[in-house]
This record gives sequence, structure tokens and C-alpha cells, in this order.
Amino acid sequence: MNEARSRRSFLTLLPLGILAGVFASIGGAAFRFLRPRIGAVSDAWLDVATVSELHGPQPLPRKITAENIAGWAITTEEHNVFVLPAKNNQVLSAICPHEGCEVSWDQGANRFSCPCHESYFAADGARISGPARRGLDPLPMRVQDGKLQVQYIPKAQA
Amino acid sequence: MTRPEEHIHASGMRAWLQTTGGIVGILLLTQFLTGVLLAFYYVPSVDHAYNTVSYIEKVVSSGSWIRSVHHYGSQWLAVFIFLHVVQLFVTRGYLTRRVQWIASILLLALIMAAGGTGYSLPWDARAFFSTRVAEGLMGGLPLAGGMARLWLLAGSEISTLTLSRFFALHVLVVPSLIVAVVVWRMFKARVFGYRHAIAAGLVFVALAVWCFKHDAPLGPSVAMANEKYLPRPGAQFLWLYESLKYLPGGLGSIAGVVVPGIVLLVLIFLPWLKNQRVIGAAILSVGAALILVMTTVSYVKDRRDPQTAKQLSLQAAQEGTARREPFKPATLGVMPVSQSQSSGAPVLYIKFCVNCHGPNGEGGRQGRLNFPPLQGVAAKPRRTVDDIVGLLKDPTAYDLQPPMRSFSDKLTEPQMREIAEWIVKLKK
Repeated sequence: MNEARSRRSFLTLLPLGILAGVFASIGGAAFRFLRPRIGAVSDAWLDVATVSELHGPQPLPRKITAENIAGWAITTEEHNVFVLPAKNNQVLSAICPHEGCEVSWDQGANRFSCPCHESYFAADGARISGPARRGLDPLPMRVQDGKLQVQYIPKAQA
Repeated sequence: MTRPEEHIHASGMRAWLQTTGGIVGILLLTQFLTGVLLAFYYVPSVDHAYNTVSYIEKVVSSGSWIRSVHHYGSQWLAVFIFLHVVQLFVTRGYLTRRVQWIASILLLALIMAAGGTGYSLPWDARAFFSTRVAEGLMGGLPLAGGMARLWLLAGSEISTLTLSRFFALHVLVVPSLIVAVVVWRMFKARVFGYRHAIAAGLVFVALAVWCFKHDAPLGPSVAMANEKYLPRPGAQFLWLYESLKYLPGGLGSIAGVVVPGIVLLVLIFLPWLKNQRVIGAAILSVGAALILVMTTVSYVKDRRDPQTAKQLSLQAAQEGTARREPFKPATLGVMPVSQSQSSGAPVLYIKFCVNCHGPNGEGGRQGRLNFPPLQGVAAKPRRTVDDIVGLLKDPTAYDLQPPMRSFSDKLTEPQMREIAEWIVKLKK
């Protein structure tokens, strides 16, 4: 009697067990399949400008193009940076350290302003006010054959 | 003494043979899960489909197994849904459980539709030919043929819109219909017993193990296939593929679309027909015989004919080589207008050379591969027009390494000369 009952409950549990097995094996493969690939940070040196053209007290907006390999595609991305001739040609990323919007240079107010949450930065990139907790990030830079070059390292990976 | 035992044994055996429903259920579930996973990487566009499928095969962990399960699972599913229909007929289940019977016939049709549309998605050479055949079958239909072809292709020619259409049918339309049919059937039928579960589990394990050993095929990309390429459909369509060889051209659509359609309709209404046992037995036995004979003939002919066998084994070897080559990411992004418009490059240069050497012969880099610039190449030794023509025929004779390949099978000598004459004029 007891044996028959346990046999019956085994037989009702069996289909569930087998279903769980199918889900587990495909689920295991799915975990590996969907796992994000974290690529190496690109350390390529990217041209910003010719050194001889950089002068004046104002931050100078420049664009750099970086190649990004994302899975099956190589994309070319343009990033905005600011060169500070007044600060030994330091190059600042235009990405606001708060939530990642792009700051712009406000000539009249002599400061950088972020369009999203009203963070402000001085002409040398130092934080003035707003929710950002630090100043604009400087990028690693060097001068090669008269050209100013930077390594573009996104904040999230730096 | 012996009779009850025999009876128990027979009913046990018979019960095990009647587990095709559970097997179909598990295989459908497997197709859904693996299909959803593949959609995380696949892009349905003619310039990315092949690349993203290669990426799944070569780079993504477990990708080749998941794609293989999806590929071979669809073929096993076709076999088991057919066996399920036969089982319902033989056991007279079509009379006692009409909902189950009609659902099974509808599933048979939908599973074949899923297989047919899915075969186009990798956009490799065999996908291209399978799309062509679908186009031909639709176009040959009586009365509405021309219209059916246009609607299937989304235009007058096979294009990226066609691929989007096959994709939408394969991943949205057909699966939704399958879910609807399965849900309808589930409400009307009893829950599967433990035998179904065990049989289904065993089939799943067999499929999983099979797919560890066998990769799903991925042919050359459409651009790389030459005129000698022999396409073959998926196993569940081999009978149709072989049958079409023996029919006069005009009858292909009748045999491939109209007759199967009528047969399925007759089967759906079988429980209400007179002489149902005779009609059903005739349809199912003739169908099974046709499928078995034609599939066997197709396999045997491919092995017997020396020329075909040679070409097919060559293709298998090429697929193996392509599979071992490292994955090459595609370069995305818009070319600056000035570059793409001013080049004046020959059409065939744009078709065969531009991907690696750039629209103005400026060279390029894809991952770790460097493609040399062609600008100013005429100044180098052994790069006259004649040399470049020779190099296009046999790059190894000019000490060039793969991925530079011979274009003898793609370009005629005058075409090579046209490209070479344009290249030598390129200035740095």
C-alpha cells in the first residue's frame, strides 16, 4: 500500500524532474552563451591635434575617433575632448563624471556646463558646483612627431 | 499463466510506442529555448546575417551547440510529429481525441513551415538556394503564383526585405501559431504520463549528445559561393528536393505546395469522412513510402555519382576550413561621402576587393588582420598591370598570404585587367 503510493508519487515527480533536467542543460548553455564579453581596454594612441596650433587661454574643443570592437562588429566612434593650452595641453574628456552626459564650454560664463543635471566645471576642469563629485577626467597624453595624442579610456573601464 | 503476463508486456510495449506526443512536446520546447537564445546575437539583414551566425558558431560560448540543437532538433521534430500523426491514426486516436488529431496535423504543417523559413536565415549559400526554391514553388502556383511570389519576397527580387520577411515568419508568426495550437490541445487533452516524460528525456539526451559531435552546417557566404556549389536542403525536405527532379517544371509547385496542402486538409477532416480508414491509411503509407524512398535515393545518389560525391566532400572540407578560420568582425559605420562617391572604382572591385582594401585602395585593418594599401602600388616591383592580373589568379606565386585569395573562379581575365588598370592609377 505504502509502496504503491510512493511509486505513484515517484511517477508523478519523474516528468517534472526530466523537464527540470532539460531546462538545466539548456539553461547552463544559455548562461555561457549570454555571458557578456569584456574586451581589453584599447590602449591605442589617438591623434587629437597638431601641437603648434594649440594656444590661447580658452579650452579648445576637439574630436577624436576611436575604433571599438563589439562582438561581431567594429565601429568607429567619435568622442569630444577639450585641450587646455593654458594647462600644458592637458586633454579633458567631455564626459561629465556625474551621469555621463557631454559637457560643453560656455564661453560667456567661462566654465564648462553639463546639459543634464547642471554640474559646472572651471576652465581647468575643476568642479565648481552641481551633483558631479569630481572635476572633468584628464586623459593619458603624449606628444609624438609634433602631434598631441591621447589614450581614450571610458570611465566605466578605467 | 502466460496470458496475463503477455498482456501486460504487450500493453507496456504499446504504451512506450505511444509516447511520441511527449517527445514532440520536449522538442518544441527545445526549439523555443534555443531559438530565443540565437535571437540574442542574430541580425536579419543580408549584410550581417552570415557574419552574426559565424560569430555564434566561432566566438560565443556554447554557440555552436545551441545552433546545432536548433538545426538538428528541427529535423528530429519533423520526424516525430509525423510519427505522432501515424500513431494517432493507427490507435484510432483521431476518432476518440479529435482535438489532438487536428492539432497534430496543424503542428505538422507549422513545423515544416518553420523549417522552411528557418533555413534561409543564416544567409549562406545553401540558404540562398533554399530561398530561391521557395520563390520558385510560390511563383509556380496556379492563378495566384505571381502574387504569392511577390508577397513572399517583398518585391520582385530576393533582397534584404525577403530575409526580414522570412525572419518575421520564422520567429514571430509561426511560433505564435504553434503556441496557440499547443495551448488549445493542452486544454483538451490529458496530462502526459511518466512514459512520455522518460521517452522525451531520452530523445533530448540523444539530441544533446548528437549535437556535441555534429556542428550545424554553415556554407560559404553567398558572395563566396561559386557556380560549382551544390546546395542541399535540410533532411526533412530531402524527399521534396529529390521528387522535384522527376517532375516536369510546371508541376513542381503542385507537388510541393498544392498537394501537401490538400493532403493536410483531408487529414484534418478525416474523422468526418466516409472510408476514413482506407483514405487515412493510403495517405499515410504512401506519404511515408515516398519520404523514405526519396530521402534514401537522394543520399545514395550523392554518394554514388563520383563527380557529385567529390564536389560535396570538397564543400565539406571547405566548410571545415572556414570553421577553423578566426572570426573576422565586420566594419560598421558610414563612409565619408567624399570617399564613397569620388572613387570611380570598377563595379567588380567594389564587389570583391573593397571589403578588405577599401573604396579607394587605402587598405584597412580588421581585428588582427592588416590589408595592404593599393595606392601607389604600381611603384613597387612586380606590380604592373600584367603582374596584378597574374596575382589575382595566383597570389601565392607573388608571395602573398591568405586571406588574399585567387579570383580565377570569380573573374575573367578582361575583368581582372579592368581592375588592375584602375589600381595602378591609384596615387598615394
